Amino acid sequence: MTTHGLSGDHRLVITRWSAISPFGLGRSAFQEGVRAGRKTVTAVDTEQWSVPDDHACLVPDFSPRALLGKKGTRDMDRVTGLAVGVTAQLLAEGAADGASVPTGEGTGLVLGTTTGSAESMMGYTRTSMQKSKPFLVDPALMPYAVMNCAAGQCAIWHGLKGPNATLAGGQSAGLLSLNYTRRLLASGRAERILCGAAEEFSAARSWIEHHRRGRTPADTVLGEGSAMFLVETAGRDTAERLPLAEILDVRSRPHAQGAVREALAACVADTLRRTGLGPEDVWAVVPSGVHAQYAEQEADALHAVVRGTDARWVDVTGLLGDAGAAGAAFQIAAVLSIADADPEAAGKLALITSVDRDGTVACALIRTGGGSR
Amino acid sequence: MAPLDVVPGASPRRVVITGLGVVSSIGIGATEFAASLRAGRSGAGPISQFDTEGFAHSNGCEVTGFEPERWISGLDPESLGRATQFSVAAARMAVTDAGLAAADLDGRRGVVSVGTTDGESHDLDRLVAAELRDGIENLPAEIAGRVSPMRLSTAIAQELGLTDVETTVMATACSAGNYAIGSGFDAVRSGEADFALCGGADAICRKTFTGFYRLGTIAPDVCRPFDKDRKGILTGEGAGVLMLEPLESALARGARIYAEVLGYGINCDAYHQVAPQQESVTRCMELALKDAGVDPSQIDMISAHGTGTKANDITETRAIRDLYGENPPRTVSMKSMLGHTMGAASALSAIGCALAITDGFIPPTINHVTTDPECRIDCVPNEAVEADLRIVQNNGMAFGGNNAVAIFGKYQDEHREGMNWQ
Repeated sequence: MTTHGLSGDHRLVITRWSAISPFGLGRSAFQEGVRAGRKTVTAVDTEQWSVPDDHACLVPDFSPRALLGKKGTRDMDRVTGLAVGVTAQLLAEGAADGASVPTGEGTGLVLGTTTGSAESMMGYTRTSMQKSKPFLVDPALMPYAVMNCAAGQCAIWHGLKGPNATLAGGQSAGLLSLNYTRRLLASGRAERILCGAAEEFSAARSWIEHHRRGRTPADTVLGEGSAMFLVETAGRDTAERLPLAEILDVRSRPHAQGAVREALAACVADTLRRTGLGPEDVWAVVPSGVHAQYAEQEADALHAVVRGTDARWVDVTGLLGDAGAAGAAFQIAAVLSIADADPEAAGKLALITSVDRDGTVACALIRTGGGSR
Repeated sequence: MAPLDVVPGASPRRVVITGLGVVSSIGIGATEFAASLRAGRSGAGPISQFDTEGFAHSNGCEVTGFEPERWISGLDPESLGRATQFSVAAARMAVTDAGLAAADLDGRRGVVSVGTTDGESHDLDRLVAAELRDGIENLPAEIAGRVSPMRLSTAIAQELGLTDVETTVMATACSAGNYAIGSGFDAVRSGEADFALCGGADAICRKTFTGFYRLGTIAPDVCRPFDKDRKGILTGEGAGVLMLEPLESALARGARIYAEVLGYGINCDAYHQVAPQQESVTRCMELALKDAGVDPSQIDMISAHGTGTKANDITETRAIRDLYGENPPRTVSMKSMLGHTMGAASALSAIGCALAITDGFIPPTINHVTTDPECRIDCVPNEAVEADLRIVQNNGMAFGGNNAVAIFGKYQDEHREGMNWQ
């Protein structure tokens, strides 16, 4: 399988992935959930959560300690647990067959986030403001109040000494992280990169969203989770890891508030032009579709591209809610899940798009490997 | 068909710095900043941005006299958090300083990358204060609407009317400025982008001050890097944004070239959330030198991470000596003047490096009395020195073991062949 633009050994491929999502723990749960089109919205347990939301899409029974054990998890916040946990799951894939992923200096990690854990950050300040002395905060919690905590913990837990980055990209974080991953690999700064995103459900996030909306009801219930992809150059040390998909291009643009349609249309056009591919090559379109005011423009931009083709539309947000920074990563995972079960999808293109309210649109064009795992 | 960014066999482009934007406690704009670095001015003073009652000491390095409306016209400054105001203002300055109008950039593919530690944590602090005062049902919507750290870069694109740029925010804490510069460098070097506006921004916040205070790492009065009596950091704030472009386009338009970006290195300790690891810091410097194609003997100055904490300064100077041997280059800490500006820190010190190369001086490490025998470097105490700087190194280290080191050189075309770049 050759591609336009990049040739031979320079193709970037996804060779493994995993997810922790409202579908449950791991890749299989995600695949089954997407293929079945299973909705995950549930009533929020008011014993556990003091939030304005009645419903949410939550990872069932998730706690860092339950997933990762007692050691090193005493103070671990939810988003860090989601990131460390999904990294552990990805690295465990194939390890039993002796096909473990090398770690150390050649392996980097790029994690997308919205703002780390707003819960941990605001919690730290709250404690300071409530105590008799403002400095009576727990020093062990301080790292969790900084946005790069989860990525740093992933490195510590799994011995990843290559480039370690946290990208704050909101809804588009998964695609912006994928683009940064592509740049790092293209520039020879790592041999392989674990690229993903994580978002937690929390009271802080829920209240911020609530107030941000003003008096209007939520378009989409909040979700959470994490997904991680192993991205590497095809043919280089990947013999034991079959390509599941090839990353053909990733692109982003800013949008002035409101003008999403034009920005996204330009972004998609860039991608098709750069790869020399046409709308007729697109097998699936996967929009983010989180906020109603932008979802319509996003769909319009995509319709304009694939009008007259039989491209299928994949709705991820309808199943998993507004997963924040994990949203675009879930969209990629959904493509891989569907393609893996559909022999017809082998070698076909998926166009994944994302709109973040705070000013960015992004898209990725990937070619699925098709049923290799 | 237009090629994708990586064309096998294509030679990478040289990348130069042509514009600088600065918002800092020791000056706004590159000219004022350069003068302050040369004079060894201190940005330290009492913190006013949050209530410091109950803390035994609370100095910091705040930006004063900042008028956002001088730099921000397309967006309502009130719709932006303090850190985003800094980043947008610094970006506007960098474009102007590069001799460009924003319209010159329209239609050119670019990268806007801003590093940060705290994003708009200053506003998150204010939301917590509002919650405790008025109840969580009554948080101010205008603040809730501007807390996304994404705004640090997307607001730059919106303010400048840039339509064909990638906007990213590197949330890699206190080395984030170097991360952003590295990303911009890679994008311009490869041909992916025609320019990059990159740097870092942070606003002083209670959360981070409190955290460092609790760890016993806030200095009671001033920051004294490498001094045997150093007591820690002062938290600071500001933004630094650099305009990077390919050498060819800079030459073609007759732009002033401050310096060339020669390369960078990033790695991760994978060791401890807050304690730096010497071996890994050494390795990161090695990676940067290798990427730049320079030998340690060619480095004329190191701008240290130099926070002024016991642990950082010992680990960093030992790591430097591991690589540079018994006579390392002069190693200075601009944090002695600027405080620790978090995500802006390595961007502001990168700008300091570019100015030092351009103006021919080494900025001092101020507040210095007696060098710690465990920090065996010449930190250029208190007074700047004149120096013809050819190649300098800018260190950044961070929580999470996120190390990033950048290398800058004087732009001298005729030396290209003779300097053993590869």
